Formats: sequence, structure tokens, C-alpha cells
Amino acid sequence: MLVACLLAIVIFSVASPHYATSGNAVTVLRNSVELLLIGLGMTLLLAMGGIDVSIGIVMGLVAIAVGRIVSADGSPFLAIISGPLVGALLGCVTAAVIVLGRVPAIVGTLGLLGVYRTAIFVLLGGQWLSGLPSSLTDLLSTTVIGIPVAAFAIAIAYLAVWLALRRTPYGLHLLAIGNSEEKARLSGIPVVKIRFATFVISGVLTGIAATFYVATYRNVEMTIGSTLALDAIAAVILGGTSILGGRCSLIGTVFGVLLLRILQNGLLLIGVPSLWQPVVTGVLILGVLGFEAASNRLPLARFRRARA
Amino acid sequence: MTAPFLVARNIAKRFGALTALANVDLEIRSGEVLALLGDNGAGKSTFIKILAGAHRPSDGEIVIEGSPVAFSSPKDAAASGIATIFQELALSENLSIAENVFLGRELKRSILGVPFLKRKEMRQRVDGLLQELDAHISDPEAPVGSLSGGQRQAVAICRALNLNARLVIMDEPTAALAVAESRKVLALTRRLAARGCAVVLISHNISEVFEVADRIVVFRRGRKVAERLAAETNHEEVVSLITGAHPDVRALEKTN
Repeated sequence: MLVACLLAIVIFSVASPHYATSGNAVTVLRNSVELLLIGLGMTLLLAMGGIDVSIGIVMGLVAIAVGRIVSADGSPFLAIISGPLVGALLGCVTAAVIVLGRVPAIVGTLGLLGVYRTAIFVLLGGQWLSGLPSSLTDLLSTTVIGIPVAAFAIAIAYLAVWLALRRTPYGLHLLAIGNSEEKARLSGIPVVKIRFATFVISGVLTGIAATFYVATYRNVEMTIGSTLALDAIAAVILGGTSILGGRCSLIGTVFGVLLLRILQNGLLLIGVPSLWQPVVTGVLILGVLGFEAASNRLPLARFRRARA
Repeated sequence: MTAPFLVARNIAKRFGALTALANVDLEIRSGEVLALLGDNGAGKSTFIKILAGAHRPSDGEIVIEGSPVAFSSPKDAAASGIATIFQELALSENLSIAENVFLGRELKRSILGVPFLKRKEMRQRVDGLLQELDAHISDPEAPVGSLSGGQRQAVAICRALNLNARLVIMDEPTAALAVAESRKVLALTRRLAARGCAVVLISHNISEVFEVADRIVVFRRGRKVAERLAAETNHEEVVSLITGAHPDVRALEKTN
């Protein structure tokens, strides 16, 4: 993954004189913040055999809430708290539909996607939420000992998710569910609780992402987050997490996000219109899945499975 | 003779109009391997599902060490010390042996209210269990997906032992195994009994049953038709009990 990232950077540096500038590096990292946070949650969801295709639009909803709070109250601290809280709330809604309602995650979140998209339209009344006060921005774009607050937030989120995944019973249960829900149940794992919690965790991470989004852009437009879910799924499976569940890599997700953003940014700089970005994402997804399917069909893989 | 660990009295199970099981009386003793034999549909599986808490009996009672129990879920049965090793083992292939053995009952320490896994202790415990069972698995960190069928049975048995199971029910443990692997699993079965566990073994393989079982119970058409000490019967008699050719079974089926 690291090699692929470096390779992409080298190619784009050769192709575009604007590419290898520190300003552009900052832009790429800046554009990765939301996707990194959402990607961590998506990694957990996919590892569990779940998915959430509405996650980008959920971020949009939270961003509207945060934006409203910033402009009404002006207190940036309230806005910072409200992001993860509203995110958790929406995570509960998703969990209620998928887990308690026993709806397949992909269909259920597709339904939510439709509902939420209209909700955003109604909430925004067809206009942008713009000209937000800079209080939140001032707070979140500062640096502590030269490191941006966003980097700290991502590091803490990464560490928390990693600990939960690799060092607590929750992580084991999550992977067991991703392997087989039925077997997990037979093993005495509280399947409903774990699945519910994972959607809520993903919601919290999305809420934090929304807070950073509002802080950075200081506006919320109608199409907010519409490609984020696709990007997140692409980044996560690019990083080695199985779309079928049971196996995941958090560090892979980080590199997956960076690679995706490097590609999107680089293609833009060499003159590919941004309309083509979802094509790149889609091709990446299909490429990874195709590769996985092909490598499962190789004689060696069959031999390995036969032994297993 | 010690008191039995579990007594099943007059157990019946009906699914609508279909009677899957009727009037089954059975005693299961600690330290003993009890084999359940019978044709497909004879009621063996239904019976062990009742013992495992997966089905509720329509009639009859189960008494464990003198006190009646009523299981409403496999969890209840597990709490009473009954572990079932199903044919399709409920192991997570993507997790390690140690993780599987402890799955759902992990050892943990609380740091700031967050439960963290005690990986080292779990590993050591599993190491010990594997050695005790002489299971020939060197690395408890290996994913279960990389193990052979017999090794997976050993992991499932470790899991049962780790849950302090007093009765281990094994549903056709050797059905999918090669001969050498079957040998090992049968040896494990004996070692379980030697540890003081009660073992109920379902099998279609009669010579295997004679190798490990102390007692043999034959089911036929939802009833228990015979119970023999393995030492006091032979292959031919058991086959005739299963097929219904045995005079005892004929007499029994005439009266019903």
C-alpha cells in the first residue's frame, strides 16, 4: 500500500509541475480528514459483515446540525460536542433499522440514504448553509506544538478503534460475527449488542468528521457527502479489509484513504475533470474485488483452502 | 455405582402432528462414554438438541444431579455444564485457537472501565489444555481456518473443557475425518471421560462406537429401543437393533 502511494506520488510529480508542492500535500491531507474518520468506522462495519452506504449523507445531516448550532449559539465547544452526539444518535437510528429491524445492511442503509437525502434538501430549503461564523474554525484549525488539531483527533480515533478491535473482547466478537453470525451466536456472543454498538461507533466517527468538515469549509452545500460512502468503501477494501467480513486492516484503511485522495487529487491536477472522480473510485472497487475473486480461483488458493 | 449426572425421564417431542420422540428414559453418568445409535430420523438429533437446550421437550423432565432443569436456550444448558459440539463446529475460522477457545467468555482486566483482553493468560491456559489433551497443536495463535478437521475437533473440545462442561455431547465428530484423524478424536473422547466428564457420542460408525463407548443406546422411530453395555453386546446385535430385526425390538414395536 505504501509502495502504491509512493508510486502514485512519483507518477503525478512527473506528470504535473504543480503536484509535488508542499501546498498540494497539505491539500491532500486536508481532504483526507473526513474520509479517514469515516473510513475507520467503515472498516469496523465491513469487518462485521455490515456496510453503510448512507454514511456520507449522515455526515451531511450532522454537518447541518453542527452548522446551525455554530451560527445560532456561537459557542464552538457546544458545536464540537454536538457533532459526535448527533452522529451517535443517527448511528442509533441506522442500528435500529438494520439490527433491530433485521434488514440486510446494504438494503436498509440504501433506504436511509434516500430518506436522508431528502431530509438534507428539506433542511437546507434548497440553499447552502453558508457564511458560518469562524469560531469553530478558529478552534479546530489551530495547531498544537505545530501539529494540526485534526491530526490529533485522527490519531486518537485511530488508537481508540485499534484498541477496541485488537485488545478488547468487542474486537473478537466483531470479527467472529463477520466470519459467521450464526456461529457467533452459538458461541454465546451478544450479536445484537455488538452490531448495534458498531453502527453507533461509526455514527460517532462520522459526527466528528462532520465537525471538522464544518470547521474547514464553513458551509454546507446540497450535495454534501454524496460520494463519501463510495470513497470510504473503496478505501477500506483497498486497504485489505474483506468486503465479506471477518478480516480487516486499520492501517490498510489509512493507506487506502491516502491512496484514493492522492489519485483523485493527482488526476485533477493533470487535467482530468472532477466529474470523473467517482469513475476512478468505482474502477478501484471493481479492481480490488475482481482481484480478490481471481486470487481465490487460483490453484494455489484452492490448495490452501483444501488444507484448511 | 455413582449417581448419574443427568437423568432424562419420559422425554417426548412433537412437531405439530409429528412425534419425533416419545417416552425416552435415559441416564448419563460422569466418566462414561454413552453412544447414541440409530438410523436417520430415529430421534437421536432431536434428543441431543433437547439436552443442549436447542429444543424444549413437549413432555418429560430432565434432572441434573438431583434437581430438575428446564432449558429455554443453549445458554441455559451451558450454564448447567452441558456443552454440545455440533457437526458443523461453531468455530470462527478467522480467529486463533486461543481466541476460539475463549470466545464469548474471554479473560479480561478492566482499565479505566474498559475491558481489555488478557491475551497471555488465555494463551497459556489453552497451551495447557492442548497439552493435556495431547492434541498435537503447537501454536495456539494459529487461525482455526488453517487446521485439519481433527484438530478443529480438538479445539472444540478444548472450548467445552474451558467452559467447565460436565457433559460433552458430540454429534458425529468423525463424520468428515480421515481415518488417522478419527483415531485421534476417538482418543480425545476417551480422555474426556477419563477426566470425569460425561460424554454422549452420536455416530453412524458402529465399529468406532465399540472402540470408545461404555454403553450403547439405540433409537428407532423416535423411541429408545435398547440399552446395552458395550462389553455385553456385539456388532451384529447392535445392527439388528438399529434395523429392527432384533426380536426385542419386534416385540416392543408390536405392543406399541
